[in-house]
Amino acid sequence: MTDAPATPAPAEAPGWWERWVARCSATESATSLALFRIAVGLVTLFTMGSVVTTGLVDVLWVDVAYGGMLPLEGNWLVAGLGGATPTVIWGLVGSSLLGSLLVTLGVGGRPVALVTLLVTTSLVDINGHAGGSYDELLGNAWWLVVLAGGERTLSLTARWRTGQWWPQVPVVAFPRWLGIWQLCLMYGSTGLQKVSAYWVPGGDHSALYYIMQQPTWQRGDMSWVAPLFPLTQVATAVTWWWEVTAPLWILFVWYAHTPDRPGRLRAWSNRLRLRWVYAGIGAAMHLIIFATMEVGPFSPLSMAFYVLLASPAEWERWLRRAPSSS
Amino acid sequence: MRTARALFVALHLFAVSFMALPSPGSGLNRAAWSEPTVQGEFQSWTQILGMVGIELTVPELEEHLWTLGHGYESVREWVLWPFMPYYRHLGTFQSWRMFVAPHRYPGRLQIRVHEDEQWRVVYEARSDEHTWHRAWFDHDRMRASVFRYSWKHYRNSRRRFTDWVARQAAHDFPEADRVEVSWMRYRTPSPQEVTRGASPKVERDLRNRRTLGELR
Repeated sequence: MTDAPATPAPAEAPGWWERWVARCSATESATSLALFRIAVGLVTLFTMGSVVTTGLVDVLWVDVAYGGMLPLEGNWLVAGLGGATPTVIWGLVGSSLLGSLLVTLGVGGRPVALVTLLVTTSLVDINGHAGGSYDELLGNAWWLVVLAGGERTLSLTARWRTGQWWPQVPVVAFPRWLGIWQLCLMYGSTGLQKVSAYWVPGGDHSALYYIMQQPTWQRGDMSWVAPLFPLTQVATAVTWWWEVTAPLWILFVWYAHTPDRPGRLRAWSNRLRLRWVYAGIGAAMHLIIFATMEVGPFSPLSMAFYVLLASPAEWERWLRRAPSSS
Repeated sequence: MRTARALFVALHLFAVSFMALPSPGSGLNRAAWSEPTVQGEFQSWTQILGMVGIELTVPELEEHLWTLGHGYESVREWVLWPFMPYYRHLGTFQSWRMFVAPHRYPGRLQIRVHEDEQWRVVYEARSDEHTWHRAWFDHDRMRASVFRYSWKHYRNSRRRFTDWVARQAAHDFPEADRVEVSWMRYRTPSPQEVTRGASPKVERDLRNRRTLGELR
């Protein structure tokens, strides 16, 4: 009896944890995260700058004992620096503006981004009445900027280190995916909380009409919308379904990222370009909000996250094509 | 390093996703529930529930929601407690209660000063005629404050807001002896009412007055 030829044992497929570790360590070109870094820096300059230029720093963020509107204590950083006095608050405002500028230019890396996160969130959190969900989105955006460390390209740092503005350097990709999930999470969560009878299926879908009539957020009189009520009903239904199903969006982005893998749902999603269908609805919604309502940096900040929906390869293709086609 | 990174990403995803689950938060407030806008919602929901065979009165619905809301919030707080420093210090807080319902009885901030024995409007929200410190009051962060103060249960903050307005008015209107902060309250007209040209009935609400003399 002869021994059968030895056949190599089949390699054991990696388990879910090994696959997760590999996924979290995957790298990609830094372009998308660098564009996100620039967008977040610019939006922060805009929102901080608007408080400064309207003269509201001393009104909203300084304690009543120094002329502000409310008694304010602030977080550990503000308290540690001596409380919400004009000197402390203006120091934080200056730091936030300087940090945002440096991060936009791509100088200082993660340490500067982290300091900017701390001072900016300390400021916007100091008066819980004078802000909204956009402040939470801002904090999350800054933490992603810290995690991404995206100053390795499209930055002064890159220029100094490599002689190029836009070197192709790899970075870990997980912050981009966390950013996409953050976007989906925000929309999905707000959709699930829209339980008003004016929003949900079965109601009269009049939510958007009545929200547009609310004087608090209007840029101007919105009674002209009344004859367009049926349109606002359609927009209400589309918005509600789009928000509630937004967590699926990350799946559509993933399918677009992995087009060669099998699966009918993947092929269907990519054929219908669902990633961009969702992005189109979201962009249209933010454009309408921006045009008709004064809700601070909410729309531009949300759109900063949209930058992450495109892979670095797609951004590089679009950006390199842009100058030659003009 | 790779394992630590993967663990961190997993924990981050759990922390932000769990925190983003719907929560009534500050909306779990009996005073806020007594507002006409919220009562209107309860009314609509008892009708919707009635259509699917669940017969409840508004007080019964309120009681069920109150109990359910408190139970849910307790569990949520218990799960989120270990992550609180992460939310608080690194900007990862999740609160996405945005336009969850239209305010059917909104308030329009109005500020008046008393001069020469009569009241004069100096600021009214969204007015192009009464524009005192419009740059301040029209800023999104001030709008957020003013919106909150238009709810009854923000009584203390509304008083402080009035105190602050009084200090500005004492400086800007040397002839005035009093200032008044109030909200002009009305039911938002339906599309049909707007098309018909019907004007809503407006009532002054949440009025606070201050004497200016001692502030100068």
